[in-house]
Amino acid sequence: MSLSQWLLIAGLAAATFATRLLGYLAGDRLRQSRFAFVLEDLPGLIVVALVASSLAGTEPKTWIAAALAVAIAWVSNNVVVTMSAGLAAYLALGVVIT
Amino acid sequence: MTRGMLSILPLAVGAALYGLAFGVLAAQAGFPWWGVGLMGAGVHAGSSQIVAVDQFSTGSGLVGAVFAGAIMNLRYLGITASLAGILAALPLWQRLVALHLTSDENWALTMSERRKDSGVGAAFLLGAGSVMFVTWSVSTAVGAQIGTLLPDLDAAGLGFAFTAAFIAMARSMAPRRISAFLPWGVTFGLAIGLMSAGMSRALAILAASLAGLALAALLRKSGRHA
Repeated sequence: MSLSQWLLIAGLAAATFATRLLGYLAGDRLRQSRFAFVLEDLPGLIVVALVASSLAGTEPKTWIAAALAVAIAWVSNNVVVTMSAGLAAYLALGVVIT
Repeated sequence: MTRGMLSILPLAVGAALYGLAFGVLAAQAGFPWWGVGLMGAGVHAGSSQIVAVDQFSTGSGLVGAVFAGAIMNLRYLGITASLAGILAALPLWQRLVALHLTSDENWALTMSERRKDSGVGAAFLLGAGSVMFVTWSVSTAVGAQIGTLLPDLDAAGLGFAFTAAFIAMARSMAPRRISAFLPWGVTFGLAIGLMSAGMSRALAILAASLAGLALAALLRKSGRHA
């Protein structure tokens, strides 16, 4: 693995454990502080931004597949099901819309 | 502890599938199977791993990727905070292990079982956590091994697999109040707009989510005064 790959793993591992440890040590103080809403809201917003940024500038078939994936996700609420069915839809659309 | 190990098995199956899928993606993004397994063991948080690998492989740079992944794990601040009482009786090293093993599934399962039976506590958490830990590390490594053997799936829509995974993650995090979707709409639209205007993906994600967060803060404030 390259140095950056090692650092990615080490960095994320350290950051994640630090987060778990900090939560345990800080206890309720963080949850009751006025910044508690950040814990709840930011991760979801990041994921939404990730979806948007991965769709930006792509062809219509990708957007359609994404819309289908949203529907599948809504119904199944399952990552693996959404990934498989979404990917299948994407590939099928690729065949249908050339 | 055995009770915890057995109770989590159904959830472990789901985690194994997710791990396999992630492993394939990570391998396609250039990570060897042992590196992916190491990441699974060291991070033990699927959603952050998939975000970090995605950001890393699409050129966000090391810091951006770690940062994005770390943000995904902010909820653990609240999760481990709620474990303070349960873990207090354990020796220090077991507390640290229990913290590392804390994931959405074994935490949620422990808390819900505890409501039915107050005897459920640290031992349950550790048992369930150990099963998830082994499941996750092994399945991601196996997935990566499979992913290494598969041809380059980029053309076949690998990128969309990430998109679909994020869509699924967003759905599971979907707010319950309709008004809470406003920040989501703003973030989504802004991210598209910023990228169309030429901003880099990493910066667009950061700017768009912060804008959404600002709106969320405003909405909460006005909600309190209503």
